[in-house]
This record gives sequence, structure tokens and C-alpha cells, in this order.
Amino acid sequence: MRRILAGLLTLGLPLSVVSPALAQQSTLEKIGQSGVLTIGTRTASPPFAFVNKQNEWVGFSIDLVEQGVKPAIERKLGKPIKLEKKESTPPTRIPLLSSNAVDLIAGTMTDTRTRRESVDFSLTFFVTGAQFLVKKGSPIKGIDSIAGKRVAAQQGSTNARVIRERVPTAKLQEFPDQPAAFQALVQGQVDAYTNDGIQLYGLKAKAPKPDDWVVVGDFFSYEPYGMAMRKNDSDFRHAVNVGLMELIESGKYFELYDKWFGPKSETPYPLTAENKRFLIMQVVPK
Amino acid sequence: MNYQFNWSVLWSGQSGGWLLRGLGTTLALSGLAWLVAVALGIVSGAMRTVPWKPLRVVATFYVEFFRNVPLLVWMFFWYFGVPPLLPLAIREWLFDHGAEFWAGMFALGVYHGARMSEVIRSGIQSIPKTQFEAAVAIGLTTFQAYRLVIVPIALRLIVPPATSESLNLLKNSSVALTISVAELTFQTRQIETYTARAIEALTAGTVIYLGLCVGIATIMAHVERRFAIPGLIARGG
Repeated sequence: MRRILAGLLTLGLPLSVVSPALAQQSTLEKIGQSGVLTIGTRTASPPFAFVNKQNEWVGFSIDLVEQGVKPAIERKLGKPIKLEKKESTPPTRIPLLSSNAVDLIAGTMTDTRTRRESVDFSLTFFVTGAQFLVKKGSPIKGIDSIAGKRVAAQQGSTNARVIRERVPTAKLQEFPDQPAAFQALVQGQVDAYTNDGIQLYGLKAKAPKPDDWVVVGDFFSYEPYGMAMRKNDSDFRHAVNVGLMELIESGKYFELYDKWFGPKSETPYPLTAENKRFLIMQVVPK
Repeated sequence: MNYQFNWSVLWSGQSGGWLLRGLGTTLALSGLAWLVAVALGIVSGAMRTVPWKPLRVVATFYVEFFRNVPLLVWMFFWYFGVPPLLPLAIREWLFDHGAEFWAGMFALGVYHGARMSEVIRSGIQSIPKTQFEAAVAIGLTTFQAYRLVIVPIALRLIVPPATSESLNLLKNSSVALTISVAELTFQTRQIETYTARAIEALTAGTVIYLGLCVGIATIMAHVERRFAIPGLIARGG
């Protein structure tokens, strides 16, 4: 028994030593020291963050960081910094932040009240809502027609939670990543795949035969995307927000929006007047 | 920036129920897969030592093919690769009756069967050849000699490595979450989704796996003592 206790203590020791050490440094100090801003982002969530055909890690969220957030932090620190990208998925992104492995989550993370108890969010940089991707001709037309049907969702997403609460009879199958869920839809393991509408359009555009798939249903959830960071670090959060506000104010945001979501892009997703106004109103005066 | 622990998320709301359901699925998945693994392991392990080459070749092929491909690939193979080979009616029926569970079970069982096979083969090969010759000399057929003499002795010799292999199987069952099986690790992630408390949820999962494995190891230690062959194994402590 004593030997087991000793073993457990040895296991616990590094944890208790490490955590106070981490607590002392603010994120801006950390970035200033290392000269690197590390973001957690996605590899298969077009057009926000994905690896393209040329094997480059690109996307709308990554552009926002490179052209808005990074310059704002550089100005604040008074020196150039490097941007490093790491893969983060819904189940890993909050632990990656808490453990200091990444400084900022910039992907497709929905800002929610529950999540705000663990992390802080930047202002909202994109607004969408959950819909369904189905095979053309499917009887599924939206959340009212999925009772008893097999529905795939991405694990750790807000959509799965809404379905479980609103249509408990739907047979929900949750996959850790988008490609596996889509493969299940292609092969008929599931009848529909639910995710945020814009991501479904992205997936459809990347599918071998985009015309075989349709995105159906009204938004059954509200998904405001924000960038997440460690809690109670308002200097860093302010720097991130200033970066985003400047992008919106200068119109650069809308250029980037046009690049990734415009009529000529692979995933056309027009910016509604309402959403545009919402974005502009988040910008506070200088 | 200090992380504030909030352990109550583990028993408030639905978390407790999820963990229990996850634990049930993990045990069912691992238990069934273990039966498959042991059956395949005994048969193929014995086949690799018989004095007839075609059987040895078949068993060697099974072992090397299945243990040298990552488990994750086998999960995808059984879940995505096998159903299209089945007739439509059976496929639809399977999809409505937990196809992911059965795919995960076969992936885990067949993969660990190949690894278990090596454990059993090493047990058989540690038995002096004279045992087999004596069994044949008193008139048993090769099959009878294996069934009545060689395999029972081998099984009593390999309890420690077989225990390790079984614990690996239990822990590897978490890979099934990639094909949407709602087992224990899946449920800890579920709690994370609802509460955003990842560290607490992962700790709960870790403690449950640890408890399960230590429990199984303790039981197997008793089995080992009970079934050790007196005089055949040098024992410490």
C-alpha cells in the first residue's frame, strides 16, 4: 500500500510544481519572450482553416490572425513575432489553451456562456447557424424531419447538444472529425450530417461530386464564432480585439470575406446586411 | 490565469449517468472483443506450432497482417470498408442496430487476437517437445494432444503476458470513439462539451481506466497463483 501511495505522489508532484509556474506569466509576456504567437486551428474546416491542395495551411480565420491580430500584438510588443499553427479539435482546444500549448484558438469555435466560464472570447468574427447536409432527394428537410433518423455530428460541437435536447428520438452519432462524419454520410451509415451551415457548404464544395449533396433546413441554432484565449488576461484579449476591430474598420475584413466567401470563391456565402451591421457595431471608437 | 478546478461537474447534471453508460459500453466492447481475441489467439497460436506447414502459413499470415497495421486503420476498415460488401438489406439493418459497436468489436478482437496469438505461441514453445511426443506416443492424435495436453499447459504458463495484453485491449477500446462508439473516453469528451471542464472530465476518465486495470490485474494475479503448475515455474515472493 505504501509503495502505491509513493508512486501516486511521484505522479502528482510534477503537476503541482508546474501549475503555479504557469500562472505567473501573462500571455503577452510569454509571446514577447518567445517571439512566437501560437494559435490552435483546424486542418479540415474549409474555408476557415484547412490544408489546401498545394498543401498550405490556410483559411479565413488564419488570415484574420495574420493580417489583423498578429500586427496588433507586434505593435503592442514593439517587435516582430512569428506565427505558429497547431491542430486543435473541439475536444482538445480548451485543454490546449489551459496548458499553455497554444495562446489563441482561431478556427470555428462558437462563443457560448458555458465556454465563457472556462475561457475568454474575442469579439464575434463570423455568424452562422446549424443546418443539415444530406444526399440530394433525401426526405430530411430540417430539424423537424430527423426524428428516428441516423444523424452524424461532430463531437464536442454545440449542434449535437441542441439535437439531443430538441429531438431526443434522433439517433445521434458523433465523430471526432469532419472527414469521418462525411464518409459515414457518403456510405449511408447516417442519413444526415449536421454542422454549422457555412462548414457544410465548405464540405460540399470540397466533395468529389458537389452536386450530389444539398444543405437543408433553417438555422436551428445561433453560432457566433469567436477566438478563444485563456481567462482573465485582459491585456491580451484587448490586443486581439484591437486587431479584429482594425480589420473591420479598414474594410480589410470585407476584402478577406470576399476572398473566402464571395461569389467567385468555392463557398459562396453572402454577408447579410444584418450581419455586416452587427460586425461594424462591435467596433468601439478609438 | 490559475486553473480553477470544479469537480462537481462530474456528478451534477447528466455527467454521472454518461460516465456510467460509457463505462458499460467500454466493458461490453472490451469483453466481447476479448472473447474473440482469446479464441482467435488460441487457434492461431496453436496453428503456428503444428507440424503441418499449410496451417502454419495461414496462421502466420493472419498474425503478421493484423498486428502490423495500426488499430485505427482496422477501425475504419471494419466500419467503412466492410459494410459496402454486404447485401443492402443486411447493411441497412446493421446501420440501424449499432453497426459502429460491432465494427469496433471486430476491429479490437481481430487485432488483439493476432497479438494474443504470439503470447500463446510463446507459451506453447516453452513446453518441452517431449510432452507433445509423449502425448502422441500414448495414442492421441495431434488435435487431441493440443486440446488435452499442450494448450491447457500453455494457458497456465502465459497468464502474466496475457494479462498485459488484455489490459492493452481494454485501453485500446477507446480508439472506437473515432467511429462514433459512445464509450468511456467519448463520454468524458461529452462532459467537456457540456461543461467546458476538460481537465476534470479527463481526470475522471483516467481514474476509471486506472481502477479497471488495477482491478483486473489484481484478479489475474490471483488466477496466476491458483493455476500455476507446481514445479514448472520458478516463483518469486
